[in-house]
Amino acid sequence: MSKKVSITVKVNGEVFKADVESRMLLIDFLRDVLGLTGTKKGCDEGKCGACTILFNGSAVKSCLMFAVQADGSEIITIEGLSKEGKLHPLQEEFMKNIAIQCGYCTAGMIMVAYNLLKLYPKINEDEIRKGISGNLCRCTGYVNIVKAILSAAHRCEK
Amino acid sequence: MSNKIEDWRKRERDYPIVTGKALYTNDINLPNMLYCTILGSNYAHARIKSINVNKALEIPGVINIITGAELMDKINPLPTNSDYSKLGWHWRIPKVYPLAIDKVRFVGEPIAAIVATNSYIAEDALEMIDVEYEPLPVVVNPEKAMEKDAPLLYEEWGDNIQAYIKFIHGDIEKSFSKADKVLRVQLKEQRYSGFPIEPRCCVADYDERRNELRVWLPNQTPYQSRRYIASVLNMPESHVKVIVPNVGGGFGNRIVPYKEVIPCILSLILKKPIKWFESRRENFLSQTHQRDLKWDVEAAFKNDGRILSIRGRFIMDYGVEGTNRDAGSPAIVPAVRSIPSAYKLEAIQIDAYGVVTNKAPYGAYRGYGKDKGNRLIERVLNIAAREFNLSPEEIRFKNFIQPNEFPYRQITGYLYDSGNYPKVLKRALQLLNIEYWREQQRLLRERNRYIGIGLAFMVEPAGASIPYSIFTGIESAKVSLFTDGSIHVYSNTIDIGQHSKVAIVSVVAENLGVKPEDIKVIMGDSDIVGLGPWSSRGVIYGISAVVKATKALKLKILKVAAKILNENFENLYIKDGVIYSKSNSEKQISIRDLANRVYFFPGPQMTLTQDMLEKGETTLEAIASWFSPTTIKELSSVYTTFCCGADAAVIEVDLETGKVKVLKYVAVHDVGKIIDLASVEAQVQGGIAQGIGGVLFEELIYNEDGQLLTTTFTDYLMPTAIDIPEIEIDHIETPSPVTETGAKGMGEGPIIIPPEVIISAVEDALAPFKVRISETPLKPERIWRLLKCVT
Ligand code: FES
Ligand code: FES
Repeated sequence: MSKKVSITVKVNGEVFKADVESRMLLIDFLRDVLGLTGTKKGCDEGKCGACTILFNGSAVKSCLMFAVQADGSEIITIEGLSKEGKLHPLQEEFMKNIAIQCGYCTAGMIMVAYNLLKLYPKINEDEIRKGISGNLCRCTGYVNIVKAILSAAHRCEK
Repeated sequence: MSNKIEDWRKRERDYPIVTGKALYTNDINLPNMLYCTILGSNYAHARIKSINVNKALEIPGVINIITGAELMDKINPLPTNSDYSKLGWHWRIPKVYPLAIDKVRFVGEPIAAIVATNSYIAEDALEMIDVEYEPLPVVVNPEKAMEKDAPLLYEEWGDNIQAYIKFIHGDIEKSFSKADKVLRVQLKEQRYSGFPIEPRCCVADYDERRNELRVWLPNQTPYQSRRYIASVLNMPESHVKVIVPNVGGGFGNRIVPYKEVIPCILSLILKKPIKWFESRRENFLSQTHQRDLKWDVEAAFKNDGRILSIRGRFIMDYGVEGTNRDAGSPAIVPAVRSIPSAYKLEAIQIDAYGVVTNKAPYGAYRGYGKDKGNRLIERVLNIAAREFNLSPEEIRFKNFIQPNEFPYRQITGYLYDSGNYPKVLKRALQLLNIEYWREQQRLLRERNRYIGIGLAFMVEPAGASIPYSIFTGIESAKVSLFTDGSIHVYSNTIDIGQHSKVAIVSVVAENLGVKPEDIKVIMGDSDIVGLGPWSSRGVIYGISAVVKATKALKLKILKVAAKILNENFENLYIKDGVIYSKSNSEKQISIRDLANRVYFFPGPQMTLTQDMLEKGETTLEAIASWFSPTTIKELSSVYTTFCCGADAAVIEVDLETGKVKVLKYVAVHDVGKIIDLASVEAQVQGGIAQGIGGVLFEELIYNEDGQLLTTTFTDYLMPTAIDIPEIEIDHIETPSPVTETGAKGMGEGPIIIPPEVIISAVEDALAPFKVRISETPLKPERIWRLLKCVT
């Protein structure tokens, strides 16, 4: 059993203090300790992107970090993306473009896309495809996901 | 699809997903829950000499460890999912326990299971279990496994043939004697599978007070899975309940919960809730695999390009087995019977072998077996086109079953319901603008760029009802009117990503005359009778049953309304949940009001007809079941609808590296009447992506020792967004005369076509070098080698 470490993390605007085992992965902290199960686990080894979150403003795979590394950081998960019940354009466009089949990749896709749109507001289709190539979707063939991100980009630009 | 249905889709189906609230199995946490890990074999073939768990048990937090030998008397072996020996075929069923007893036969075969207070500790314990093996000779190549002195997986069999079927349809000798030309075609397809992004997972909770085991798992068929779990646990089915939360993709990979029975056993032993969440490596090693086959056939042709017949040999590599851990073995049947596809053949004769080797078990993956025969005939036709100097479309137009020939009895027994194959292919050629690309090809070749055009066709037999298997085809639906005016639909056509919920709401709203927002869909529960989505059967069985039940409920409602409103029954209609008289606008009553009057104030005697009261029909609900009419008379016609499709693509090959790039991809499908266009198109896109993945990238590679070398997504080469092109889609609608809505099953069709489209496009691109392809996947290395050989 590894020893416990205290951490303080701001998640979706709320500050949490917890004692975690030093080997606990960030994804397990979010899901099992904080109960934020919207972040999904598809491989636990950095290959699928289902666990993508925003960590201090950039997209990271939360299965590739320890919870202790998040001490003092600010995290946004899919649960924190909509503000006061108002959905983010990405969330709306994913629904509108039927970019959701089983939905298991959706949280990770939206989080990685959120980061892309922030960095490259004028992003084009090819760049979107490259930008999300670390996130796997087995259901959609990516066609509608790319469309959704593109329309969200147009909306955000306006 | 109306705006209201779109609103329903967003609000009820997708909103919980985009906000992270949707519940998947791994999101379920119960009080006092413990965690399970499963130790898999390191050897592909070995005897287990001893298993020492003492050190592992000493780890603080480890609660229990079980091995196969300990369990043997407490449980039953895994039940079989198909038994075709009853049809007189060579069909062997091994005795398989959830945890190996004395021998392991593939790397990853479960040996022991650990329960601990958290998943980290349960994983630590895996490392501390000592297993002493006595290695045995390994066989991973099915042709070697068929040799006389091959190592035997099941000594008691005397050989490694799990299934052998000689398929004879038509007079093969006579047909070949008429041939002008005989072509030999070989085709080998690699091992791959679905691998949904959600790994396998199970939460099992045995409640001693109620003597009930509740099991949550991502599954395509909870009614059937309950039978499976109860059988292993030796419990009455009525004491087991399987609940399916959101499912992170199915693709046929979630039909039989063979490994999930282990946490169930543990929960029963410990009387505590247990969670098992599989690692991705474990998933690659032990989830059931598919494809892995080899055709070696001769095809007889007339000089004008008409195909007469096909004969030869077919080998499927089942890995360790295909009958108990999943239902993969039966795929050998549609693999052969789908060969004639859209064409008029006189005869086929195939010796088909299902062979066991030291690899993971064989299961179902989108396409199941239908993909295999389709791909063979398309390969044969594309090769023949070249031989007879015909274009790929010309040879198909010559051989197609014609629109006026339906219903068409295919030589292999299938009864095709409807179709217009020439129309679908013509539309695909237009959509691609094939003449333009042929011209481009000529121009680009002069500049040393090699683009190729490929096309293929398919007919998808869908909606199976297969005797002597878990795929018999039962399905029910219940539709109820509640006193709040809501309509509750119970159906096990589970939404595994294909938006079946939306299709259900759409047909209920339309057939009953109610608002989508008043409809609630209940699914994914073993208490609902029905087998669920596989074999593209959702719109065939599930939706047909829902429509039948909806119509029966409507009849009841109208009968009651006729009495309450004192109006002629035929003179009533329902719109937006209100029953109106066609002639007297004063006469109207909402279904909500009607339900309240029947159930409570004043009650049945004052509202129901005499006939209803006498029959005891006092509730406003209807149950219906539906069965495939085409499968009733002939056992060989086990499929119900036959959708079709034509895909065409333009690709470019980089001669330096052998890399294939898809430049344009078009697909035209005829899925009968379309219920929900958006989800049909989404199915086509996703299926094509999987087909492209299968032909260009994905591969489960075993070495000679039976070690799987591809145990991550990146080694396996799961396609990413840069690997899949934009896909252009169009539809033709030829309704099915056999389903309630005219819709045809279509979920598997899209994965069937792309491999041959790409193979033929690559051959076309490399025509100047006479490259011939007989094996996939077409990774750059393979193409580069092929080019080296011929240049
Ligand atoms: S779970 Fe983190 S990348 Fe797959
Ligand atoms: S929608 Fe199923 S994995 Fe993307």
